[in-house]
Amino acid sequence: MKQQNVLIIMLLVAILACFGGPAFASSTLEEKVFEHQFANGLQLLVVERHDTPVVSAYITIGVGSVHETSEMRGVAHLLEHMLFKGTKTLGTTDYQKEKSILEEIEKVGSKLDALRLQDDADPSRVAALEQGLATLQAEHKQYVVKDVFSRIYSENGGVGYNAFTSKDLTSYLISLPSNKLELWALIESDRMKNPVLREFYTERDVIREERRRSYDTNPPRRHYETLMANAFTVHPYRNPIIGWHSDIANLSPQKTREFLQKYYAPVNTVIALVGDVKAADAVALVERYFADIEPGTPVPVVAAAEPEQNGEKRITEIFDAEPRLAIAWHKPTMPHQDDYVFDLIDQILGSGRTSRLYRSLVEEQQLATSVSVYGAPGSRYPNLFVIEAVPRHPHTTDELETAIYAELDKLKNELVDETELNKVRNRLVTDQLRQLDSNSGLARLLTSYQSLADDWRYLATYTREIEKLSAEEIKAVANKYLTSANRTVVVLKREAAL
Amino acid sequence: MMIFCRSFNRLLLGAVAALMILSGCAASLPEYPDQLDYPELTFHLPEVETLVLANGIQLYLKEDKELPLVQMTAMIGSGSMTTPAEKIGFADLFGNTWRAGGAGERTPEELDAYLDYLAADLSAAMGPYTTQLELSLRSEDLEQGVAVLGDLLLRPSFAEERLELERLQAQEQLRRQNDNPGVISRRLLMAALYPNHYLGYSPTPETLAAVTRQDLIDFQQRYFAPNNLWIAVSGDFDRENLLKILNDNFGAWPKRQVPQQQPPVVMRPESGSIQLAVKDLPQTTIVIGDLGLTKDHPDQYAVRVLNYILGGGGFNSRMMREIRSNRGLAYSAYSYFQVGRRLPGPFVAGTETKNASVLPAISLMREIMADLRNNPVNEDELQLAKESQINSFVFGFENTHAVVSQQMTLDFFDYPQDYLARYREHIAAVTASDVQRAAREFINLSRQQIVLVGDPQEFGKELVELGLPIVEVELDKPR
Repeated sequence: MKQQNVLIIMLLVAILACFGGPAFASSTLEEKVFEHQFANGLQLLVVERHDTPVVSAYITIGVGSVHETSEMRGVAHLLEHMLFKGTKTLGTTDYQKEKSILEEIEKVGSKLDALRLQDDADPSRVAALEQGLATLQAEHKQYVVKDVFSRIYSENGGVGYNAFTSKDLTSYLISLPSNKLELWALIESDRMKNPVLREFYTERDVIREERRRSYDTNPPRRHYETLMANAFTVHPYRNPIIGWHSDIANLSPQKTREFLQKYYAPVNTVIALVGDVKAADAVALVERYFADIEPGTPVPVVAAAEPEQNGEKRITEIFDAEPRLAIAWHKPTMPHQDDYVFDLIDQILGSGRTSRLYRSLVEEQQLATSVSVYGAPGSRYPNLFVIEAVPRHPHTTDELETAIYAELDKLKNELVDETELNKVRNRLVTDQLRQLDSNSGLARLLTSYQSLADDWRYLATYTREIEKLSAEEIKAVANKYLTSANRTVVVLKREAAL
Repeated sequence: MMIFCRSFNRLLLGAVAALMILSGCAASLPEYPDQLDYPELTFHLPEVETLVLANGIQLYLKEDKELPLVQMTAMIGSGSMTTPAEKIGFADLFGNTWRAGGAGERTPEELDAYLDYLAADLSAAMGPYTTQLELSLRSEDLEQGVAVLGDLLLRPSFAEERLELERLQAQEQLRRQNDNPGVISRRLLMAALYPNHYLGYSPTPETLAAVTRQDLIDFQQRYFAPNNLWIAVSGDFDRENLLKILNDNFGAWPKRQVPQQQPPVVMRPESGSIQLAVKDLPQTTIVIGDLGLTKDHPDQYAVRVLNYILGGGGFNSRMMREIRSNRGLAYSAYSYFQVGRRLPGPFVAGTETKNASVLPAISLMREIMADLRNNPVNEDELQLAKESQINSFVFGFENTHAVVSQQMTLDFFDYPQDYLARYREHIAAVTASDVQRAAREFINLSRQQIVLVGDPQEFGKELVELGLPIVEVELDKPR
């Protein structure tokens, strides 16, 4: 429900990148995770932690904005919002009566959307339809029990009730006192079986405001959005998760329902329960509430493939803010061997005060106030290696760019020494442990890996792969991908500074 | 039937069998949450061991062996509240230079390298009342970690070149302070709520330039003493070993007199105003604020319930329901009371909406606030607000380090000994008339400060309807 799409996926990628280290923590984790697959394809992962009587629940559907076509950009995220609106039993005073008004609302709303697309639309007809829609919406109110899931979870002590949509997947999360776990099963299974997409057109307006707040008025996120939209030419990773304004304005209940029916199915779903719950009880509970749902069909593979980039792309984004620089290079994603190497490169260049770019750009040359290095925007398909930097006045983004390339040249020409490699591995191991600390964080990691890599154990093998990597491979990968022809450079700045 | 399904489903994991039984079972599933019976929740407040070392260091300990990590907070009981107006920015420069400036035998570069080699996370920050170090490290490195803390507390270097670097960074941050409307609105609101007070000041290039290395050293020499030091440790450590290491590093540090800091008095702004900062954006950021309360106020629990109903309870709050859910005017609509430890903290309510709907959004917020003053909240809303806070109380104890550092903070600020034990009881006792009384005391429309950041072309003229003086604020573009 939050606007965190981009941020979350960046985090997720960062988490994926950080999740390494030798066998110690992984084996502990392997012993702790209990897994079960139900007959309808639904997967359940459980980690028992009985210290505090709380439990965190994550439901992750392996569908995200990458699975949208151009006629329905933004629908994965809109659907995520709509699934907060209740079901045929929860959120309504009388669904049978409500149903016919909902159908009327949809008819008028669709007409209105179609009319608004016509340049020569008669304004009085638009106004009449708007009035008609408002009247129906007011009439509909009498059947609505407002924001019912939120209410029920809250009065039962739930915290962190939320959902997020990323490029690759969609997750629904809540933490509850552990004696209330059955409430989660009741609500979430009902949400999967009987959702009602009520208050659709109002929610579409909410998402327009979300877009204004999170992208149109926010310099770093606008910058990121522009980078993604330009680095990719063909692959849907180019599209913002939230959609462009015209996308959102033209999403319909019909398109939203179709997306729901197609993809929200047990075969595409992973559940993780972490906390004060017994694995056997969890299996029984999930069986009882979710096992009668039809398996559904798997989300299809995205066919669009990004062609090789044959020359630098250079973009300027005008915004009323101080300048910022971002550079992205295409790279493969997991489980490609080179993707592991990039995780090490992320660390060497951008993690911590002794990382190369921080040392060079921030401390020694004092050209920048911050540098960050990460993979984006998703992990299911080939993605990008990104360096972002904020210049320090009077230094320019041009100076910053030159200084970054000088550091990349070192990576291409010289072998990383063993001390630095050890430091980086050490950091990966320890950060992995830190990630395991919170119930909710662990539940997120487990469902994400299970969904993206088809096996949460990817974590353990990942660790071993990282251990094997050599300085020669780092050098080779830097030379292969970090080329001028493969990069997209976006500078955000004020018009006056052109 | 339900019992039958429950006990047998565990055994029936085969596809056909499970589907057969479940189709029979489905009919018996409860449809509504009120059909569920919950087992009793067993929860006891976690124990935190507290002890005072011979030289006055106050220790808070809790072991947690789940992960081979240790987390430590070292807190000096003095902060930035006495910073003079001409040196605003001192707090961040102190925290950042303390962290980055080297300590003991190690130069800044050596300390950074050492901590990165240990994969330790270290941060430092100065707040109004306290100054803290946070350290997270592997349990096998505990001895090295405590030694670093010892160096930072007893032998910080505040290296000149690092202070200069931090100053340059802070100056660049100033240049960027008008990039983001959320940041602008908070700065303007705090300045309006706390005029001529350190809580309302923000740094300028001049005040940043005025901070010297000697200022940092003076603060450390004045306030860093074992009897003004509080340490919280959680994670995988051996108690006896930890005490020995602490004693090795801090045992010889002698007690001494530390000056008391007195927070300067806050003057409540007498009348409301609207500050309008023009920025060419498609959406306007709206924040409304006033002075709130301190932790010693008898109505603090009523205020928590009030705030939940106003805008603190997410979708269950009136602001979220009316502004977002019913009208689609905004994505976020929120309120909070920051309960001040020693001085009244701010009360803030805010939202962001397209420029054309600014006045409707502000009017809705004010109507909701006025209604909370004029009418008692209904029983249903009251119960939801209370139940939510009572039943989620247990989440305050999910993270072991949060448990120890919370206990330390409560003790430092002299909260009652039974504060946590009686928290739920206090919330449960709040009545509708308590909420109304709190609303009348803390929600005062004519006194509130309103800050708007956006493009007023579509709403500027309508603003006069609010009957408050309007001040246009110039947002400087750095050159």
